[in-house]
Amino acid sequence: MIEIRDLRRSFGGVKALDGVTLTVRGGERRAVIGPNGAGKTTLFNVLTGELPPTGGDVRLAGAQITRLRPWQRARLGLARVYQRTELFAPLSARENVALAVAARAGPYRGFRAPPRSEYTAADALLERVGLAGRENAAARILSHGERRQLELAVALAQRPRVLLLDEPTAGMSPAETARITELISGLDRALTILIVEHDMDVVFRLADRVSVLHEGRVIADGTVSEIRGDVRVHDVYLGKAVSVA
Amino acid sequence: MSSAVRWLAVAAVAIGLVAFPYWSAAWESSRFATTVLRDMLVFAIFALSLDILVGHAGLPSLGHAAFFGGGAYAAGIASQRLGTDQLPVTLGAAVLVAGVLALVIGMLVVRSEGIFFLMLTLALAQIVFAIAFQWTAVTGGSNGLAGVSRPTLMGTDLSAPDRMYVLVALTFLGVCLLVWSLMRSPYGRALTGVRENERRMRALGYDTARLKLSAFVVAGMIAGVAGALSAYSQRFVSPGDAGIGTSVQAFVMVLIGGAGTILGPVLGAGVVMYIQRVLSSAIPVSETVLGLVFIVFVLLAREGIVGLGRAAYARARAR
Amino acid sequence: MSPELLFQQALNGLSFGALLFILAAGLSLVFGMMDVVNLAHGAFYMLGAYVALSVVQLTGSFWLALVAAPIALGALGLLLEPLLLRRLRGRHLDQVLLTIGVSLVIVDQIGLLWGREVRSLPFPPGLDGSVALIGGVYPVYRLFVIVFGIALAAAIAVIYRRTKLGMLIRAGVEDAEMLGALGVNTDRLFAITFAVGAALAGLAGVIAAPVFGLQPGMDVDALLYSLVVVVVGGLGTLGGAVAGSVLVGPVDTFGKVLFQEFALAVIFAIVALVLLFKPTGLLGRIRIAR
Repeated sequence: MIEIRDLRRSFGGVKALDGVTLTVRGGERRAVIGPNGAGKTTLFNVLTGELPPTGGDVRLAGAQITRLRPWQRARLGLARVYQRTELFAPLSARENVALAVAARAGPYRGFRAPPRSEYTAADALLERVGLAGRENAAARILSHGERRQLELAVALAQRPRVLLLDEPTAGMSPAETARITELISGLDRALTILIVEHDMDVVFRLADRVSVLHEGRVIADGTVSEIRGDVRVHDVYLGKAVSVA
Repeated sequence: MSSAVRWLAVAAVAIGLVAFPYWSAAWESSRFATTVLRDMLVFAIFALSLDILVGHAGLPSLGHAAFFGGGAYAAGIASQRLGTDQLPVTLGAAVLVAGVLALVIGMLVVRSEGIFFLMLTLALAQIVFAIAFQWTAVTGGSNGLAGVSRPTLMGTDLSAPDRMYVLVALTFLGVCLLVWSLMRSPYGRALTGVRENERRMRALGYDTARLKLSAFVVAGMIAGVAGALSAYSQRFVSPGDAGIGTSVQAFVMVLIGGAGTILGPVLGAGVVMYIQRVLSSAIPVSETVLGLVFIVFVLLAREGIVGLGRAAYARARAR
Repeated sequence: MSPELLFQQALNGLSFGALLFILAAGLSLVFGMMDVVNLAHGAFYMLGAYVALSVVQLTGSFWLALVAAPIALGALGLLLEPLLLRRLRGRHLDQVLLTIGVSLVIVDQIGLLWGREVRSLPFPPGLDGSVALIGGVYPVYRLFVIVFGIALAAAIAVIYRRTKLGMLIRAGVEDAEMLGALGVNTDRLFAITFAVGAALAGLAGVIAAPVFGLQPGMDVDALLYSLVVVVVGGLGTLGGAVAGSVLVGPVDTFGKVLFQEFALAVIFAIVALVLLFKPTGLLGRIRIAR
């Protein structure tokens, strides 16, 4: 479903991505882990199109998307949950999700008010992520955990084929983490999920396979148990790895 | 208030507005009030169009007068050069010219934001002003375009003050309806999304550049309509109609009234015109008053009069 | 165009450029430090010219006016920044709107206090003659403007690079937030910067007055020209103000001679082009101004 080949991205002299190659099959749940500065968020930014790569290419379901704009990739089924919540602050939770629901049909639909169906669909999604009762609350007054739930609802409302989760449990209490993890775990198995996470328990719970990023490159790629036992991964996390310049 | 009552109230106000010259004649024969109200409504249309950009799409344009002036000149020049006073022709010319200008300028500015957007719109509008000011052969140059004739519609001559007023009032109501329904539609909701978080809108699959450009063109065309009405009303077009002063004036109206609403720009136009037309004959410091009022609003009442009203209403309900 | 005429126009271009530098430096500085485009900059310029007019009327001394006007404008800036702008810290767009209001008030008050007729300021005695220059005569005053502009640029450069205040301002332009975190009183720094910007605008007003006169609308012209210079040369840097004025001065002068009718349009077209392809200006650096 996702093929990333030799992806590169430099900022001046800094090589944030130094030849990342990875392939994710349809329906797979892949975790991307690595120490801070490994390039995980940059990878996501290049995947969504917000950052152009300086080399390499990306394919989605076989189609080249390297040169496509973010909104074009979204229309092809790519959705993202941001690390720092990116919501429409003064709008209600329902309106936030409704905007995502309506994206497919586009905004050029005449002068009448948006159809009720968009809002009922939004409410259904809100209930699914555990925000029933909070539909009318403005996004800015929601708690941190609730906002992450809303983010998930918004992403799901896009009816994506591929979901990119950027540190979904960052800053959450154990209870909130458990709830979000259950939610993600319960998502449709046809959905391909790429998840960046620091919390290893979440990774082991959710992932089928794990890719380990270090200094802009994939240094290990395998099932959860394989990665668990991989010495290189341990070294990288414990800072013993020698930089491959 | 139930929605039926609200609609009735709106209808009553609308009828009262359109019929103003007729019932105001009872207490005022000089037509001064009608003229002031007419000019207020022209600027209300202009302010409403700017609000599409400033209030709804979140695009702070300081060059909107380019389309107002462009439309005004187009209407005036069309009536003089084409030898016709037919309203559809001259108004159509205004909308066309303003729309094309907005398309060209819009394509150039849509990729910038914030302060840069502001300065770019200012600079590009100044080009329009400069052309109006210098191109004496076509626009009359610094002397302006004089002798603009008032339009006729299907045989009816609209020159008389009453009829001119009715034209303006009806157009105003039409624009209010247009903007109101546009903002309730998925399009308006998408513009709100662009205003609040453009990055997220892109991530959702919306082509935000196209949304912003279309808003720019729609706003420009409506501004062109206002410009044409101004040309007819004053029978005159001056380069200043495309100048920074006019752009600033509209911005002040939108902010004082309340950006992002229908009532806001209209109230703002009323307040500003009142200060500039009525107050100015009573006291010599009207522009100072306007500046001070504006400063106070920016500091203390950023959401404008409508915002103050909403806050007061919320407080009253909380009791 | 004959070589004499060319030379004269070149000098005109340079003197206009020198004036533009004095005018635009303040705007650039304020933007660089505070991320605010002071749309009252033209009004400050105008006020400086009118204050000079009164000073000259009262005392007969142009040189006194040259000192008094910037001081007056500086004081005004020192008053306005804490009174108005500081309340909207972080809300850059709203601060810009605030300056619009300030501009409206100042311009109206000028009209009330000094009237709206066209006024003029005589050349200071000693600088009112002409000097024989290659093939013709040239007004001494304009040469003075060139010299003054260069001297001022040099003085500013020295202060900017070698004094503590200059260092603080440079650091503030680079990253004001960081400076505040380091314990520097950024409130006071901002107020001083704004005051300096206003003073420079006022100074430009005095210098320009004998050449351009005083009339309603001069604030708009000044604002637009300073915007052009700052945008073209580079937002936020003094080097940019120099680059911009050195470019725009001669271009505008020759443009008016060559294109006459559309010179104004040409200037703004250049602005638009620069903003489109290099939004930070020719010498500017990347800034995120939200």
